Amino acid sequence: MDILELAKKIEGLQTASTVSKILNVNKNTAINYISLLRKNGYVKETSYGSRKIRMYKISTLKKEDYGNPGFYEILDKNSKVKIYSLYEKDKIYGKELSIEEAIIRAVKTEEFRVILASLGLFAKVKNWVKLSDYANKENIGRKVGALYDVARIIIKLKRIDKRTRNKLLNSQVKNKFIIQKIKSKDLKGIEKIWNVYIPFNKSDLEAYKE
Amino acid sequence: MITFQQQIEFFNIVGKELNEKVECVAIGGNAMMFYGFKKLTKDVDLVFTNREDLNKVKKALYDSGFEEKTNIKIFKNYEVIDTKPIMMEGKETRFDLFCKEIICFKMSDSIINRVKESHEFGNFIIKVVSPEDIILLKSATERIKDREDALEIIKNYNVNWKVIIEEALHQTELDKPLFVVFLYEFLLELKEDFKADVPDNVLKELLKMSKKEMVKRFKKKKIVK
Repeated sequence: MDILELAKKIEGLQTASTVSKILNVNKNTAINYISLLRKNGYVKETSYGSRKIRMYKISTLKKEDYGNPGFYEILDKNSKVKIYSLYEKDKIYGKELSIEEAIIRAVKTEEFRVILASLGLFAKVKNWVKLSDYANKENIGRKVGALYDVARIIIKLKRIDKRTRNKLLNSQVKNKFIIQKIKSKDLKGIEKIWNVYIPFNKSDLEAYKE
Repeated sequence: MITFQQQIEFFNIVGKELNEKVECVAIGGNAMMFYGFKKLTKDVDLVFTNREDLNKVKKALYDSGFEEKTNIKIFKNYEVIDTKPIMMEGKETRFDLFCKEIICFKMSDSIINRVKESHEFGNFIIKVVSPEDIILLKSATERIKDREDALEIIKNYNVNWKVIIEEALHQTELDKPLFVVFLYEFLLELKEDFKADVPDNVLKELLKMSKKEMVKRFKKKKIVK
């Protein structure tokens, strides 16, 4: 069978079992076909579904690697909470987007799921001073500090040094809402410390425990 | 002609020249290069949603050594089109900068929602339209190379023909009634002359829509007379 025709036939998200059903072949042959497609660049990514079943994203657009991972790719790679990326490919050229910059971008989107996913990025921060500088430059220092405290509820995080924490605490923000008109019901303590409104309740953070 | 790598270098230069973030949509052969359908392109076609952003990129290109050209005719009846692109010519390539409209085609929200890729070059953010939309946009011109490009996509990609029909209908609603007629002729030619794998039911549907639009146009003319 022509490889391109094969890719066209089973384009989309598949498991070995669905491929075997579509092509009416046994599972071993299906796995061989997937391997063939991977060698030819048609398998864009492999992920794991529930019960560790492998899922393959098959696309007739051949995978070509250029540029560095963009915002959505970084978020998807580094956070336990997955988001539906707006793009199939999201790349950045001439520089690498750091985790610190990705957190700032996430807060600036003012989108619930994106900010929720960005909490996972705090575990990967290497340079708190850099994070604080970026945040203060965008006038979102206290928002970032508050989200760090929220992230600490559900993820084991390194402590921010006192100086950086104070810098964030004393920073200016344009408005107190991380997401417009949304306040937390049960994270009032953190809201009070940072004087901003947190868009999550404790139940929202359960996504990190699943 | 430029390669994909050269195109990236040009975008990087523009990104460095820009002082603020500017977003635009890649639509032509340059968009095809992002998907790997093409190795070389003659011109870089970009669409902007506002004139301000277009002018910023025009200035960035000018500052990078590109010059504005006004005497290039890039398609038939070019003189009568009132949405001509700004053409910035360099040594190896030319940037065609469109604002909202591409000849007889409007950059609709549905096209923006179907964008598949985003590429960031400093302050210059390029979104790449879906392969289906590249085919649609190619039908707006009469150049032979556009037919060859569309054929290449149809050969190598699982085209969602439903998207093509829906967008054609959407364009008629956006006051671009003739687009569906051009699209029908374009796909018919691809099927008959280039042996492209265009489903018959797609052509049938487009023919029906074209007839409807032509009758509407005919009636309108009669009323005016």
